[in-house]
Amino acid sequence: MSSVATAVHERRSGFRERLDSLTAPSGLFIAAVLIILALPVTRTIQDPDFWWHLRAGQLIIQHGGLLGNDPFTYTVPGNHWTMHEWLNDVLFAIEYAIGGMGLIVLVLSAVTWAGLVCVMQKARLRRPGRGALGVGMLIAVVAGFPIWGPRVQMITFAFAALTLLLVERHLMRGGKAIWWLVPLFLVWSNFHSGFVIGLGFIAIILVAELAGGWLHMPDPASTARLRPLLFVLLGCTAVSMINPNGPTILLYALGTQTSGAQQSLIQEWFSPNFHDWEVLIYGAMLLALVMMIVANRHIRARDAALVLVTGTLSLQSARHIALLVAAATPVFIDQLAMATPRLRSAVRRMRRRPATPQPAVRVQPPLLFRATASALVVAALGGIAVAWLIPKMQVPAYSLVYAREFPVCAAQWLSGAPEPLKIFNQYGEGGYLSYKLSSRGDKLYIFGDAALMGDALLYQYAKVETAQPGWDSIIRNADTDVVLYDVNTPLADLMEHSAGWVKVYQDSLSVAFVATDKVASLHLPPQPAAYPPNSVCGQLAKTPPSGGAPT
Amino acid sequence: MQPPDIVVIADADRERRSENATRLAWIGAAAIVVLVLAVQPFRNTDVWWNLALGRLIASSGIPAQEPFSFLPAAHSWIGQQWLYQVTLAGLVGAGGAGLASLAMGLVAVAAVVLAALSVPRSARVPGPWLFLAMLVTGVVLTGVVGVSSTEITVLGVAIALFVISRWREGTSAAIWGLPPLFLLWANMDGGFAAGLLLLVGAVAWLRPVSPANRRQLAVALVVSAIAALANPLGPGIYASVIAGVVDPGAAAHLAGWASPNFHDWSARLFEAEVILVLILWTVSGGPDRFSAIVGFALLMATFFAEENLGIFAIFVAPQLAVHGARAWTRHVAPRIGHPRWSAPRHVHPIASSAVLVAMTALMAAVVVPRLSASAAASYQATNYPEAAAGYVATHFPGQRIYTIDTWGGYLTYRFPNDRVVFLYDQPAVFGTTALDRYLAIDQLQPNWIHVLGSEHIQHAILPADAREAAALHVLGWLIDCYDTTSASMVMSAPAPGTPLPATGLLIPPPGASTC
Repeated sequence: MSSVATAVHERRSGFRERLDSLTAPSGLFIAAVLIILALPVTRTIQDPDFWWHLRAGQLIIQHGGLLGNDPFTYTVPGNHWTMHEWLNDVLFAIEYAIGGMGLIVLVLSAVTWAGLVCVMQKARLRRPGRGALGVGMLIAVVAGFPIWGPRVQMITFAFAALTLLLVERHLMRGGKAIWWLVPLFLVWSNFHSGFVIGLGFIAIILVAELAGGWLHMPDPASTARLRPLLFVLLGCTAVSMINPNGPTILLYALGTQTSGAQQSLIQEWFSPNFHDWEVLIYGAMLLALVMMIVANRHIRARDAALVLVTGTLSLQSARHIALLVAAATPVFIDQLAMATPRLRSAVRRMRRRPATPQPAVRVQPPLLFRATASALVVAALGGIAVAWLIPKMQVPAYSLVYAREFPVCAAQWLSGAPEPLKIFNQYGEGGYLSYKLSSRGDKLYIFGDAALMGDALLYQYAKVETAQPGWDSIIRNADTDVVLYDVNTPLADLMEHSAGWVKVYQDSLSVAFVATDKVASLHLPPQPAAYPPNSVCGQLAKTPPSGGAPT
Repeated sequence: MQPPDIVVIADADRERRSENATRLAWIGAAAIVVLVLAVQPFRNTDVWWNLALGRLIASSGIPAQEPFSFLPAAHSWIGQQWLYQVTLAGLVGAGGAGLASLAMGLVAVAAVVLAALSVPRSARVPGPWLFLAMLVTGVVLTGVVGVSSTEITVLGVAIALFVISRWREGTSAAIWGLPPLFLLWANMDGGFAAGLLLLVGAVAWLRPVSPANRRQLAVALVVSAIAALANPLGPGIYASVIAGVVDPGAAAHLAGWASPNFHDWSARLFEAEVILVLILWTVSGGPDRFSAIVGFALLMATFFAEENLGIFAIFVAPQLAVHGARAWTRHVAPRIGHPRWSAPRHVHPIASSAVLVAMTALMAAVVVPRLSASAAASYQATNYPEAAAGYVATHFPGQRIYTIDTWGGYLTYRFPNDRVVFLYDQPAVFGTTALDRYLAIDQLQPNWIHVLGSEHIQHAILPADAREAAALHVLGWLIDCYDTTSASMVMSAPAPGTPLPATGLLIPPPGASTC
């Protein structure tokens, strides 16, 4: 055979082998897993902070630059606003202008899915069996259920997963691709202050590999590859300071970790509650991972360090479950692959069956049949994924879906007030109210940038939210005009019975009160007697009052 | 000429005795430190209703129905902890709160010491590692020890571990002590079920010296399970324990049954211990099957309910000692040039005695002031509404009082007669309806005013920062008195026609008299 014919033959054989592999049951399983990964991460926007990010992006574009101070509150207008997510906010505004909520849902869902693909690619570097790979990824995506959803933190998740992938590839194979981290961090530091996590991961890996070498831990990385990694870390740190906030951005993220108010008052900073079924899978994954590590007694230094750090962080705050998924899932898959042969022999012993020898010849259906069947299955799953995604994208901002979660109708009523108002609001609704009412000049008590609000204001707000003694004077001393809160909350019930406050509005989600001595001067519009039946507020009126949600 | 063999044997015997003495000295030193950590005031709020009940049982037997509250309880009184309650009342009666605190502190120390003695003798763990393991365990237990029936379970688990350890080594006589242990345990705390599960695990996953030993342990387990039936609930005790574990109502409203809050220092200490154990297991060759299965099961149980933290800490204490020593010998000692732990295996008896005496003196200087009547009185006055309860006793005798559930137990102690208490931490007895009525007021649900009125509650004892205080003020309730020591207040319903206040409650309430 000529050399050209040989090359063509070899290429065709390689292609044939790859096609055989992809259309085998295990290949189909992985393809299915890749599609299924998209389902849990695709939702309507439930993050209450989304709205103020959108509004902030619109204001940045409008003003042609960052806002030095907070434009939304009447309580801390003098506080300097570290807009660490300015690039994300601007992109939100652009995407919304182009494609509305649907485009934002699509982009963020795709980013999260891309992050999961990076996690999977990192796991594949160790060449685990496809069974372990697929099962591990499915467990991971379910474990992350409490935190998935279109939100800014998913960008940090995806970038963290990409960082870990590039670092692992470098440590295993070398090459220059690791230097792509430098421009990545330049972008990341302008998207979200979570880039510090990426720097932390690289530093942890470096220290772990140095310590692991001294401790003679298995599969250490070559020292020759650690030096470039150190220079990459320094380079990433340097470019991270190229952002409107300068070098101070490096310390910003640490502020949230050390804020007592945020850690104790904001729900997503709470420790996971293992009585919640959504958290149980995360707990099971963490427990299974440490069990396998103890049983296998074979773990690389960097893997051990990443599991230790992200495990500790995720136990401290549920929002860090995403970091555990990014860092620990490949370790989970690796350990599962190591444990699988032992598990199989244990099952065989339990069933008292001898190990069956591999059959000499495996008869497979024709390639055309397998390829067609695989294509049909993948197309069906892809269709399900698209059918899952499209309705999520089609929910507009002014819709019953969002009216059940955010004060859509109350904001509509407030927008009829003749003068700008100072509104004492629920923490989780500050974002939506800033989006809808800030253009009118209305100001809020608080919204979701906790670092901007400061610990003092958070503690004051918490006293009011929990209806502790002093709630009334806190609201009045801030010169509040209107209190807008969820129905069936302690504060709402208290104000309902208080002689010092008058109820001026109520729908299924929200209720508004004004101080008795201010009602006449505010000239608020009356509560609408009825809404058109097919309108959003008309439909909301038919739903029973909500139970009141914590922040 | 060679010395006679008897001299060699005598030398080896002396060596072993000296080694044991050194090890016991290290254990003794650790026990002294743990005692300082374990002696706690009455910080567990349940101690009060347990005390009140103990006094009641001692005078008139176990009640058939809930004896303190004016709320109708859904279920009969569960007298399963009667022996603990009577013992507690006896200790307080004999020597005040200080004696009870000291006794429970000694219980915790005994548990930690037994856990250390559960280390297999064949492992020959050096004394310093036993000391470190006990110290770590004691520190982790600091957040959960105190005057509480849970400590009885912690001690019971330690005893079971010790017996299992000796059984593994071929000394099976100790297993016949298990039935009387469980007989007592089942009448003191529902955690005896954990001890039974531990024995089941030992029968299933441990390899004894001979198969006959396994059968003996199985028999001892069955006899222990039967002995546990000798309690006021009889056979129903097992159903009661299971219901207490799986009942979601209890889990939602009992702090101990919630998942650990890893922002708290006690949960962080637990987390650090878990990480330490896992690392030691990984680097030292791994645990045996029994330790692995039970250890991970307890870890899962603690993630689910923080109440199980004490059992976990006791169970892993011998693991820390054995695997810590092994990891040191395998990985650290060779690198620093010493083949074994370099501390001398034998400490001079006079020197060790002197150190122990000095430590005991220091411990006494720290602990004894805590046990005084004045210290107990000061703690009670600061952490419980002592003055407010005194005011109510004087001015509103026999009238129903609302308070938060964690103070409800204290009020049962102060007002054991007349049924003036609303609710305290016994959800299994009170049932869902009573619990819902309490929550309606505590969480200011839409029907809270109706509940308040329908229960004819006219007075309340509340913490200064309680939302109920702010809510009652809105309804026009007056502040009878305010106690700055405990930051508590007495409030009473207004006379009909009293105008409602236009502004909210301020703390401290201006013009309020002292309780």
